[in-house]
Amino acid sequence: MLAHGEIAPEIGGQPLPSPALLCFFKTDCPACHLGLRYLDGLFQHYRGRAAIVAVSQDDPSGTHALAESLGLELPMRFDSSLQASEAWGLEAVPALFLLDRRGRVCDSSQGFDKADLNRLSGALGGLADTEPPAPIRSGDGNPDFQPGCVSRHLEPPSGEEEAAPALELYSRRGLKASRVQVPEGIEPEEFCYEQGFADPLPVIPPTVGRVERMLAATSLAPDEIVAHVPPNYAPASVEKLAANAVMAGCLPEYMRVLVPAVRALCDERLDIHGVQGTTHFAAPLAVINGPVRLDLGFACGSNVFSNAARANSTIGRALQLVLRNLGGAAPGRIDMSTMGNPGRFAYVIGENEEASPWGPLSEDFGVGGGRSAVTFYCAEPPRPVSEHKARTAEVLLRAFCPVLANLWSHRVCRRQEALVVIGPEHASTLGRSGFTKRDVVEYLFENTGVALREYDGDGGEGTQEVKWYEECVIRGERCYRKFRRPESIRVMVAGGPAGKFSVVLGSWQVGPRGSQMVCMEID
Amino acid sequence: MPTTLVNPLDERDPPAGSVPARLATLQSSRIALLDISKPGGSIFLDRLESLLKARHGVSEVLRYAKPTFAKPAPEAVLADIREAQPHAVIEALAD
Repeated sequence: MLAHGEIAPEIGGQPLPSPALLCFFKTDCPACHLGLRYLDGLFQHYRGRAAIVAVSQDDPSGTHALAESLGLELPMRFDSSLQASEAWGLEAVPALFLLDRRGRVCDSSQGFDKADLNRLSGALGGLADTEPPAPIRSGDGNPDFQPGCVSRHLEPPSGEEEAAPALELYSRRGLKASRVQVPEGIEPEEFCYEQGFADPLPVIPPTVGRVERMLAATSLAPDEIVAHVPPNYAPASVEKLAANAVMAGCLPEYMRVLVPAVRALCDERLDIHGVQGTTHFAAPLAVINGPVRLDLGFACGSNVFSNAARANSTIGRALQLVLRNLGGAAPGRIDMSTMGNPGRFAYVIGENEEASPWGPLSEDFGVGGGRSAVTFYCAEPPRPVSEHKARTAEVLLRAFCPVLANLWSHRVCRRQEALVVIGPEHASTLGRSGFTKRDVVEYLFENTGVALREYDGDGGEGTQEVKWYEECVIRGERCYRKFRRPESIRVMVAGGPAGKFSVVLGSWQVGPRGSQMVCMEID
Repeated sequence: MPTTLVNPLDERDPPAGSVPARLATLQSSRIALLDISKPGGSIFLDRLESLLKARHGVSEVLRYAKPTFAKPAPEAVLADIREAQPHAVIEALAD
C-alpha cells in the first residue's frame, strides 16, 4: 500500500482528481460489491463537490455488468493491465485511498469496514469544505466489517479446474421472472406441485394477473432486489416475492409487511443461513408491532400461535416459501431438522400491545413511539407455562423459571436466549405488582438456574463446560445460573384475554457467532 | 385460454464449478482437515488424522477450524488453506 504522504501515481496514463476518494476493486469480490454500494451513496452526496472514483481491476464489459447489477452511478476507471495495482502496492481489495488537494495519499483502508468508510468520508468532507453525509450505521442489514480478497495482480496462476463464480450478494436489480405456461389438461394447482413451487399444502397459482395486482400494492420496481436469500443467496426481486405471496394466499396490501420482513429475515445478524441448515428445532419467528397489526388484522390475542388470522398465516407461509423457493432450503435437501417445527408452516405473531403494561418488543430495538416493526427471533416451538393461583409477580414468575431452566438442554447454561411471551392475564398480575419489563427480566435471570447436584459426573451434555458457568444460590440451593446476562431474556405480551397461560421460546445458537434478533421498521 | 404463471423459483443457472481430479495416491501427500467447530468434532478428526498417517502414508495433516459451525467459513480461513496448498481438503461436517 502507498504510504501516507506519497504522491499517488497515475492510473491508465490519466491524472487523478484531488481531493478524491479512490477505491480499487475486482468484480468477483463480495466485499468489493458491498463497499461499492456504500461508495456510490457517498458519490451521490459529494457529487460536484468532491471526486469519488472506482478503479476496476477487470475489463470494462464485466465491470459495467457489475455496475448495472449494483445500480452504481459513480465514475469508473480501469486497471485491467494491473500496472497501477502494482504501483499502488495493493495487497487486498477493496482498497481505498484518500488523496489530499495536492494528490498525496493522506489516509487508506483495505477490506470493507464501515468505521473506515465513515472516517474517510468525514475527512473527504473536510478536504472539500463540505458537510459529510450521515455516518453509515451499524445494524442496517449489512455486516460492519468484511475482509477483502487478494488483489488481482497477486492471485496465483489459475489451475486447470474451473472455479465456481463468486456469489452475487449485493446486486440491486434482478432479471424478470420467466413465464410458465400450464399445459392443457392439468389443473394449475397440481402443476404447481409438479414444478416444485409449493410446500405440501395447496397453493394459489401465481398467474400473471394475480402477481400484477400484488405488485400494484408496492411502489417498488418489480426487478428491485429486496435481499439475497440464504443459503443459496438467490436474489429476491419484488416480483419473485409477489409470486410467492400470491401462492401463500396473501392480500396485495400484505406486501407492506412482506418486503421489510424479507429484508430482516436475510439480515446477516439473524444468520438464517445457519438456521436453514440446522438439525435443531429452530425456525424464524416474526413478531409484529405497531399500528400495522390493526391495519392488516394480525392476530395478537386468542390463538395467537395458531391459524387465527389471514395476515399471520399467509405472510408466515409466504416467508417460508421464499426461504424454500429462493433460499433453496427445503426439507430433506438443505433443511435437515431432526424433528422440524410446526412454525415452518407459518410463525408470525402480533404483540397484544393493548393488554401490555409495558412498551412493545420493538422498542427494545429502537422502534417505538407508535411505529410499526417486524422483529425476527429464531425460535424453538413454544413451551407452555401455566399458573392459575399466583396473586403476585414473584409467585407467578416462579412458574416460568423451571421452564426456562430446561431450554436447549437441561444442564447447558449460558448458551441460549429466551423470548418470554406473557399472556394478558399474567401480564395484568405483573402490572398490578408494579413490575416493569426490566423487573421481570431481572427476576427471571436471578431465579433461573440448574442445581449443582444435577452435575454428578455422568458425562451428559452441559456437564463438561461447568468451568465457564457462574455459580449462584437460588432459594437456598447452589445452582449454576442458566443465562449469561439479563439481556439474554426478552419479554413481550400476546394471547387471549382469558386463561392464565404464557409461553417460553428457546433460541438457536446465539450471539455474533450465531443468530441475533433483528428488528426492521415497517413504513 | 391457457394459464400463464410467474415463475416463483430461483432461476439462476447452477454454479459452473468442476470437481478437481481425484488424487492417485495419498502416499506422501499433505491433507488439510477443516473442523467446522461442532462439539466433539476434534475427537473424530484426531482419529482421522492418525488413520491418514498410519494407514495411507499421508506425510502431513494440516488442521484448520471455522470460528463457528453456525456460519460459513470466513474468507480468511479459506485463504489460509489456499496459501498452504495442500493436495486435498476434507471439510469435516458434523453431527
